[in-house]
Amino acid sequence: MSLTKKIVTWARIKSPWILHFNTGACNACDIELIAALTPRYDLERFGVILKGTPRHADILVCSGPVTKQIEDRLRRIYEQMPEPKFVVALGTCACSGGVFDGCYNVDSGIDKVIPVSAYIPGCPASPKALIDGVAKLLTSLEEKEETKKSGR
Amino acid sequence: MLGALFYILIFPGFLFLVFSGLTAEFIDRKIYARLQNRVGPPWFQAYADFIKLLAKEDIVPAESNPKMFRVAPVFALTAAITAFLYIPLWGKEALLSFNGDVIIVLYLLTLPTLAFFIGGWYSTSLYSRLGAVRSLMQLFAYEVPLFMGILASALLADTWSLKEMVIFYTAHPWFWMFNLTGFAISLVSLLGKLEKVPFDIPEAETEVVAGGFTEYSGRMLAYLRLTLDVEMVVGSSLLALVFFPFGLNLGPLPGFLLFLFKVLFILGLISLLRTVVARLRIDQMVNFCWKYLVPLALLQILLNLILKGTLLR
Repeated sequence: MSLTKKIVTWARIKSPWILHFNTGACNACDIELIAALTPRYDLERFGVILKGTPRHADILVCSGPVTKQIEDRLRRIYEQMPEPKFVVALGTCACSGGVFDGCYNVDSGIDKVIPVSAYIPGCPASPKALIDGVAKLLTSLEEKEETKKSGR
Repeated sequence: MLGALFYILIFPGFLFLVFSGLTAEFIDRKIYARLQNRVGPPWFQAYADFIKLLAKEDIVPAESNPKMFRVAPVFALTAAITAFLYIPLWGKEALLSFNGDVIIVLYLLTLPTLAFFIGGWYSTSLYSRLGAVRSLMQLFAYEVPLFMGILASALLADTWSLKEMVIFYTAHPWFWMFNLTGFAISLVSLLGKLEKVPFDIPEAETEVVAGGFTEYSGRMLAYLRLTLDVEMVVGSSLLALVFFPFGLNLGPLPGFLLFLFKVLFILGLISLLRTVVARLRIDQMVNFCWKYLVPLALLQILLNLILKGTLLR
């Protein structure tokens, strides 16, 4: 890995800005996400900032099963984000559709619509689980760069 | 020629301002976090954000005017950096100096706001336009007290040049004490210029997403954020010079340390103010500036005129 690449990867890992999008959740996961950003958990320690616009964000955190109504909007928001971008499915519904899978108005999990990098199960997923999931996503980023270098 | 390039690109120009601006952002965010009883970001946070944004994709919206959209951030950053060349940091000499450079510095500090407006307006997104118009609206409110506060100090020294102001205040050591009202006014107005919390109406996240910056991504967003950081450093050094002009004949190293101390003090005040107050509405903000700050600034000017008529006669 060249030095520039190393620095850029380091910067990406140290500064994940997230965008929160409710794709049809019951609000439980949303509240847990907000709780993770409060002073008690203080995600700014790891450089996480909640951004309002997809243009600024690196990680799209989706909560809830994808409803038929939100599907187009989810895709559009995903496309509005600049590369490199990652998607985190927060909560059981977002991972697989949960109990809503197969419902007349629901399209199953997030990964049926856009590619997902990390799944965080839980109903609702607790702030600790969210921090763990994002940390694992970022470490995988580093490992991916290293495997690319060794040619595997 | 080589010397000029060194001054412009390294010290006290581009490179120094990038480093000090990002450090200032870190200090601001750390104080903000500690006052909220949080741990706060690590020391490299602002650098990591900046490098990450530089390496991201640049998106120019199809609806926008690509030329204006791309030019605005660079223009804003250039103006903010140029303003720094006119400010004497320690000692009496700035890199560039002529009679009237106070006006030039204030004018160059206004340009970034206009560039934000142009960038936001030509993004052609609803939120960007709302934010852009708000930032211009706000400009008309805080700009007048800021100018009056700083020019009142210049009035006492009877000059429009920063260099001669320094000479005057070195000759009359305790006269800066009379300008403390002006300092308070300018500090509050500076918050408006930096779009910090009581006056962060243009980029109020809960109302207009990210204001004029909404459509910016990648490198251009990095420049815009850097502009605000550089403006913070330039604004605090200007305030430090105009309102605390003591200890300017100490020589390079103690002078630099004293300068650092003054700037850190002003940065701390800015962070404290943005922690303890909440955001105002745009009409409340305009009312506040015109009803309270401007009359106070007029009082300051009156005081300085009386001083000139009596003590300095």
